[in-house]
Amino acid sequence: MSNYSTAIKKPLPLLALLVVGAAACDTLLTSAPEDADVFDAPVPGLTDAEMVVFLLGDEGFEEAFSPATGVGPIFNDVACGACHSGDGRGRIENALTRFSRGSDPALDEGGPQLQDRAIAGAVPEVLPVGVDVSVRLPPPVFGVGLIEAIPAAAILANADPADADGDGISGRPNWVTPAAWVPHTEVGGGSGPQLGRFSRKAQVSSVLQQSVEAYSQDMGITTDFLPVDNVNPQSGASTLASDLVPDPEVPLATVRAVVDYVRMLAPPAPGEDTPSRLFGSTLFDQIGCQNCHVREFTTGDSRISALANTRVVLYSDLLLHDMGDELADNRPDGMADGREWRTTPLWGLRLVREFLNGDMFLMHDGRASTVEEAILLHGGEATGVRLAFEALSAEDRAALVDFVESR
Amino acid sequence: MKPVAVTLCLFAMVATPLWGQEDTTETRAFVRGGVYDKPYLTQLLGRAALGGYAEFHSRWEREDGINEFSFVAKRFNLFTAARVSDFVRFAAELEFEDGAEEILLEFASIDLTIHRAFAVRAGMLLSPLGRFNLAHDSPLNEFTDRPVTSTDIFGVALSEPGLGALGSIPVGGSGRVTYEAYLVNGFNDGVINNSPDGTRIPEGRRNFEDNNSAPSFVGRVTYSPNLGFELGLSGYTGPYNQFQSEGARLDERRNVNLWVLDFEGSLLGFEFSGEGGFGNVDIPPTLIGTLASDQAGFYLDILRDFGHGWISTMAQSHFSVGARLESVDFNRDIEGDDTRQISLGFNFRPNAESVYKFNYVRGRTTDSFNNAAQFSKLLFSVATYF
Repeated sequence: MSNYSTAIKKPLPLLALLVVGAAACDTLLTSAPEDADVFDAPVPGLTDAEMVVFLLGDEGFEEAFSPATGVGPIFNDVACGACHSGDGRGRIENALTRFSRGSDPALDEGGPQLQDRAIAGAVPEVLPVGVDVSVRLPPPVFGVGLIEAIPAAAILANADPADADGDGISGRPNWVTPAAWVPHTEVGGGSGPQLGRFSRKAQVSSVLQQSVEAYSQDMGITTDFLPVDNVNPQSGASTLASDLVPDPEVPLATVRAVVDYVRMLAPPAPGEDTPSRLFGSTLFDQIGCQNCHVREFTTGDSRISALANTRVVLYSDLLLHDMGDELADNRPDGMADGREWRTTPLWGLRLVREFLNGDMFLMHDGRASTVEEAILLHGGEATGVRLAFEALSAEDRAALVDFVESR
Repeated sequence: MKPVAVTLCLFAMVATPLWGQEDTTETRAFVRGGVYDKPYLTQLLGRAALGGYAEFHSRWEREDGINEFSFVAKRFNLFTAARVSDFVRFAAELEFEDGAEEILLEFASIDLTIHRAFAVRAGMLLSPLGRFNLAHDSPLNEFTDRPVTSTDIFGVALSEPGLGALGSIPVGGSGRVTYEAYLVNGFNDGVINNSPDGTRIPEGRRNFEDNNSAPSFVGRVTYSPNLGFELGLSGYTGPYNQFQSEGARLDERRNVNLWVLDFEGSLLGFEFSGEGGFGNVDIPPTLIGTLASDQAGFYLDILRDFGHGWISTMAQSHFSVGARLESVDFNRDIEGDDTRQISLGFNFRPNAESVYKFNYVRGRTTDSFNNAAQFSKLLFSVATYF
C-alpha cells in the first residue's frame, strides 16, 4: 500500500486544487439571476403542486415546434419563447400583422392574422389588397394571472365612457364574446359579453383563449380546443396535406400547464426608488399619467392562492382610450375602435432593453425606441398629459422618464 | 467514373513508385486512430477480430445557477474487422449509446485495395468530413465531450451508406497526400424540419435510403509532411430535400454544403489539433427568417503530456493537461444563437488505451434574442478500448 500512496502523491494536490477551486467559486460555476430581475420567475408562495405545474408549463412554453412536431402548415413562429424574449415582450421582427375589412375579420382571405411563413408544401399568406392592417408587437406574458384575478368591478370602477367627470379621459371596457370553447369556469369564459383584459385592445377576455389562439394562429399548433390547423384560403391546393402530424399536436395537459404557467409568472420587481425617481413619481401623478396608468389594483379570489388578495402594481387601468390619429390603426377589434388602445401596463420596463438586445420597441407596433418618444406619441385623450409633459423642464422630464423606465 | 477521375487514378498508381523511392509511410495508418488503427487490431489472432470501447460519464452541469447531475452510461461500441484477403478488408462498428437508447450500425465497410493509391470502399461509411469524424473514439480523445462544432454543425458521428475511393500517395521521404471521395445518400429534410432550435444539419443524418434519388458528395484531402502533422480539407455537397419523387418534380433542389479545415501538429511539447468550418443550407423562401442558412464554428485543442512514470506501479501511465477553445454560430444571419466555451482537462492514462478524464467547462450561450446564459460543467469520465 505504501508504494501506491507514495506513487500517486504528486498529481493529487493538483487535482484537489482544481476541485476545491471550482467548487468554491460562483464565477467559475455561474450563479442564478435574482427572481426580481427576470420575466420568468414564479409568483411567491406557490404550493409544491403548483410548482410542478409551473415547471411543466415552463417546458411547454419553451418548446419549439418543427414540422416534425406540428408547426404550420402556415405560421408566424415556432415557439412561445420565440416571440416573447425571456417570457417578456417581443421585438419588431416578431411583430404580428392583424388585418380585417372594417369589422369583418376577413376569414375567407386569411384574416384576422397574417401567417407569412409556411412549412414545405404549404404556401404562406400574403396581405390582401385594401385591408385594414394593424401591426402588433408581442406583449409580455408575465403578470397575466394577476390581471385575471383583478375583480371586474374594480376595473369597471375606473371606466368613464362619457367622460362624466370632465377630465378629458374617458376609458371604457372592451366587452367581448369569448370563444365558445372557453369554459364558463374560466375567468372571461361563458356565454354573453365578458370584460376584455388581454392583448393590445383588450379584445380577449381569458388567458386560456389568448394562449390557445396563440398556439393556433401564431404557430399552427392544434389543441383540443382548436383541433383543426389553419389553412391558407388564398392557396389553390390544400395546405393541410403538408402537415401530417396527428391532431391535436399538443396534449390537453400541456396546454393547461402552459396556461397556468403564464398565470403564475410574476412581474419583475421595480428598480430602486432613488430621489430622482421619487420626484419623477410625483410628476407622474401631477401631470396626469396616473389617470390611465392607474398604479395598482388588489386582486380578488383566485384558485391559485398566491394570486389572491394581493397588490398588483401594474400602472394600467386595463381600459380602452382614444390615443389619437398618430397611433390609430383605424381597425376595430371587438368594441375597440380604430383609435382606441388598452392602457399598456408599465411593469417590467426596466428590464426590456436587457431582454431585447438593447432596444425597447415601445407602443403597440414598436415604433418608439425610448420612453420619451413613447410619451410624445400620446394623443387623443392623452393630449393634455403629453402637453404637460412637454412643458416640463428637461430635468423634470428626465426624472419622470427615469421613474417610468425603472418600473 | 468520368475520364478525368480515371486518368487521375491511373496517374497516381503509375506515379507512386517514382515518388515513393524511399517510402517510409507504408506502415502508417491511413487515419491515425481511424478505422484500421485501433488497439484491438494489433492483437489479431484469427482472421476476424472483435474489440471495442466503453465510455462512462459522471456529469455535473449548471446553467444560470441551476444544477443538474447524472451518471451516464454513454457508449458501448463493438468493433469487428477482418482481412478477408490481401486485397479485401472489412470493418464494422456497432454503437450502443446512452444505455441502449440508441443502437446504431455506425460503420460497416468493405475495402478493395487495388493499390495504396486507390482502394474502393463501399458500405456504411464514416463520412470524411473533418478528421474528428474519422477518429472520434472517446479513449483516443482527451476531453469528455466532443467538440460542439463537430457534433452540432458537421454531425459527428456522421455515417451513411455510400460508395467511393480512397488512397494514399507518398510525397517525399516521409510525407504523403491522402484522399477520400464518396458518393453518399446525403442529408434529408430533417436538416430544417426536425429540430426545435431551427436549422440543425445533424438532424438530417441517418438517411439510410436516399430521399431524393440524388446522391451527395463528400471528400477529404490531406497533406502530411511527417507523422504527427496533418492538414486536411473536406467538403460536402448535395440535396437534402425531397425535390423529386417517382419521377415527378415536387420542389426546388435545396443543398447542404459544408467545408471543413482540420489540422494536427506539435510544437515545443504541446500537441495542437482543431477544426473549423462553415455550413450552408438552402432554406425555402417561406422559412427565411425562421431558419438559419449559414452556420460556422471552430475548436482548437492544446494538449501536453507529463508525469510519465510518476506512478511507479503503472509503467505506462502518464498524465495530461489540455485546453479546448470553441465557438459555434448557429445562425450567422442574426446576432445571437451562438455558443462559446472553454474546456480545461486533467487526465490520467494508466496506459495508452484507457483514460480517466476530469474536465471543467465554462461557456456562454445566447438565444435568438441574444439573451445570454452562462453555463459550466464538471465532468468526470472513464473510457477504455478493449
